[in-house]
Amino acid sequence: MSFFRRKAKGKEPERPADAKASKAQVLPHSPSLSGRNHHAILEAAGPSHVAINAISANMDSFARGRTAILKKQPSHMEAAHFGDLGRSSVNYQVQETRSRLSKTVDQILRDNVAMPYFIQFMETHIAEHLVRFWLEAESFRSTTWSRVRAHSLNSVKHSTLAEPAASLESPDSPDSPNDPSRPLTLDQGDEEDTFSSQTSSRPHTPIKGQSTSGLSDKLMKSIERDAVNIFTKYISPDAARPIPITEQIRNDIVAKICGEDGQVDPNCFVIAQSVVFSIIEEQHFSEFLRSHYFCKYQIEVLTSGSVFLADILFCESALFYFSEYMEKEDAMNVLQFWLAAENFQDQLAAKKGQYDGQEAQNDAMILYDKYFSLQATNPLGFGDSVRMEIESNICREGGPLPDCFNTPLRQAWTTMEKVYMPGFLSSNLYYKYLSDLINSVRVDEFTGGNANTTPEVDRNSSITEGSQAQQGTKKAAVKILKNFDEAITVDIASLDPESLYQRPYAGRMTFGKVNELGQFIREAEPEPDVKKSKGSMFSQAMKKWVQGNSDEAQEEMAWKIAKMIVNDVMQQGHQGSPEVKATKVHLFLSLHS
Amino acid sequence: MQLLFLIETLFIFNGSLKEYSTRSVCVCFRAAMATAPYNYSYIFKYIIIGDMGVGKSCLLHQFTEKKFMADCPHTIGVEFGTRIMEVSGQKIKLQIWDTAGQERFRAVTRSYYRGAAGALMVYDITRRSTYNHLSSWLTDARNLTNPSTVIILIGNKADLEAQRDVTYEEAKQFAEENGLLFLEASAKTGENVEDAFLEAAKKIYQNIQDGSLDLNAAESGVQHKPSAPQGGRLTSEPQPQREGCGC
Repeated sequence: MSFFRRKAKGKEPERPADAKASKAQVLPHSPSLSGRNHHAILEAAGPSHVAINAISANMDSFARGRTAILKKQPSHMEAAHFGDLGRSSVNYQVQETRSRLSKTVDQILRDNVAMPYFIQFMETHIAEHLVRFWLEAESFRSTTWSRVRAHSLNSVKHSTLAEPAASLESPDSPDSPNDPSRPLTLDQGDEEDTFSSQTSSRPHTPIKGQSTSGLSDKLMKSIERDAVNIFTKYISPDAARPIPITEQIRNDIVAKICGEDGQVDPNCFVIAQSVVFSIIEEQHFSEFLRSHYFCKYQIEVLTSGSVFLADILFCESALFYFSEYMEKEDAMNVLQFWLAAENFQDQLAAKKGQYDGQEAQNDAMILYDKYFSLQATNPLGFGDSVRMEIESNICREGGPLPDCFNTPLRQAWTTMEKVYMPGFLSSNLYYKYLSDLINSVRVDEFTGGNANTTPEVDRNSSITEGSQAQQGTKKAAVKILKNFDEAITVDIASLDPESLYQRPYAGRMTFGKVNELGQFIREAEPEPDVKKSKGSMFSQAMKKWVQGNSDEAQEEMAWKIAKMIVNDVMQQGHQGSPEVKATKVHLFLSLHS
Repeated sequence: MQLLFLIETLFIFNGSLKEYSTRSVCVCFRAAMATAPYNYSYIFKYIIIGDMGVGKSCLLHQFTEKKFMADCPHTIGVEFGTRIMEVSGQKIKLQIWDTAGQERFRAVTRSYYRGAAGALMVYDITRRSTYNHLSSWLTDARNLTNPSTVIILIGNKADLEAQRDVTYEEAKQFAEENGLLFLEASAKTGENVEDAFLEAAKKIYQNIQDGSLDLNAAESGVQHKPSAPQGGRLTSEPQPQREGCGC
């Protein structure tokens, strides 16, 4: 390996050992995402003692010198050596490969935060029964399995005491009280007979502790009840909103619900679920991603007060703003390196071991020459130990592994997370990104939401009016603009003298007036009452824009609804006269006071 | 929007005094943008796509550094470079994402197509195969970007006239059939390199002006500093109906 210009002797015996060492290094993962588990750092700090001893045992003196450096690595993880990097985030690999801002269908269906927005979207497409069916079927399946298993575990416990088991089980099947109730819970004409015939046979079968047929009656009946509920709501032909499945699947489900021994197969809905899933994915999902409901979800994530670096780096639109920020901060190299190394590792990992080692090595060498080597074109300041680790990873027999750049990636990640992200989150760029998102929501809801009288429409149209009127959100804006760092200087050349004399918002110099709905509209500025808000001012402001849950806000929204109705009627006649607009402006002014 | 909020913090006023101050500080702020260190009014996101070895990275390097890299290594994943240029009197910063052309990086580079305002699709005029693969690149571009993304076809290595394998006319026809801009350029000599980026920028800017590109959509690929109200947008009715936010 002549490209490493050092006295590199005896490299071969080191390679497998070092690969092992670096593997041992990345193995201990701390599971928590948000809590930076500092203890985990010490665990992950270096190769374990066992590994080190194994390595040392096989090496010559030069190699032992290298392991001495590896042994020293724990100290490099301390704050002193990382400098700004401080505590490294150990749980880098697995959890942080996706952004909460970019979702797949599966992720949305399992995400409680995104689910309401998705259901709202589906409602506008009259397809929410698909989602609800999927959710209910999924919860039915998982709870049924857990109940069955819990019950089997209990019965296994009981079966070790043979006689008491039989006596224990029989009182568990209170048949008579249950039988009359069975027909009541069933709405399906066909299945009543089958069910009742089975329940009548059940009390007579001896209940054995061990097998699953020994499930207590109560459990089985409640499982059946649940299954039948779902069936009635979604699958039966008489259902209000039947899901589109074929007759064959329907019969299959019926067969699975009415199993021979009265067992309901917990997986009975799985096929129907997958049919529904693919319908959702093909027909509705991409539109959802373009809809304002998804934007609203993104806004909620971004204003929730805890935005992670993963959310930014793995979401395209956020990355656009973040790269601009990094360039302003003169830190593009860190981001570029992270992107390149991450992409390299991703594509290598995707091959699942079937890749050309030489090609991968060439790719890795390009990265090495650019960022690590002593003659690097874009040096990032990685320490010697990291550089040597990378060298050994790259020169590994058979080519580099998909985790070859883990250490520097982790350092770059931590740098971006600790050093740059806090600045980004309070920067104008981030504010701009959020306001773009909010504006998209506004535009879209104005498009589709005129017939809607939900509070959200009004809230967002108030943002519309607010921004149009340039006054509405001033309260929120005061809190947002704390990072205003652009100097205000006057450039005579770009002053348009005419604009100084234009008064688009000229009004009477009054304190206020009473509008036609009887509400007093203030024209003067409200008292500057500074409300101490908890949490970052920024997120509070955004929350106010997007949620606005207080009572007064709701009352105001009711006013707005009334106002909109009045406006609609008036607009029929007046076709958007200036009168109407002016009053609109004043109404919304009062809301944000 | 931002500048107007600034006003609220600085002044206390009502009625007519408000809009007077609004206007003057608004104008001052716009002016400030022109003289501040980062004095561009827009940022456009570009992507460069095409087969490996056609010269994407060299085009980017020629554009941003005005130098030709004779032996640059192939791109790993993505890289990006930026440069500020002037379009119709507006300073516009281009954030250009240069993707790897190797097939093995195709999956990872796909995630960078989203939210691009402009795309440069590059082929090598001395290698016919790179021209033949254009339809696959175009499909990817159309599927993964916005409908309003401007795509420009670039035939690179125009200086190697002797080894030309693809005529200007047929490429021009392909571009016209697919609604693409088209230019032949040379990263080595610098011929048409600036024009390539400029033409796309002009088209994007035109789309913004006539409203077919919604500036407020988060995935438009355009960041804009709110300055002069375009077409009286800030002061007029709510925006005309547009399609989804393209998130």
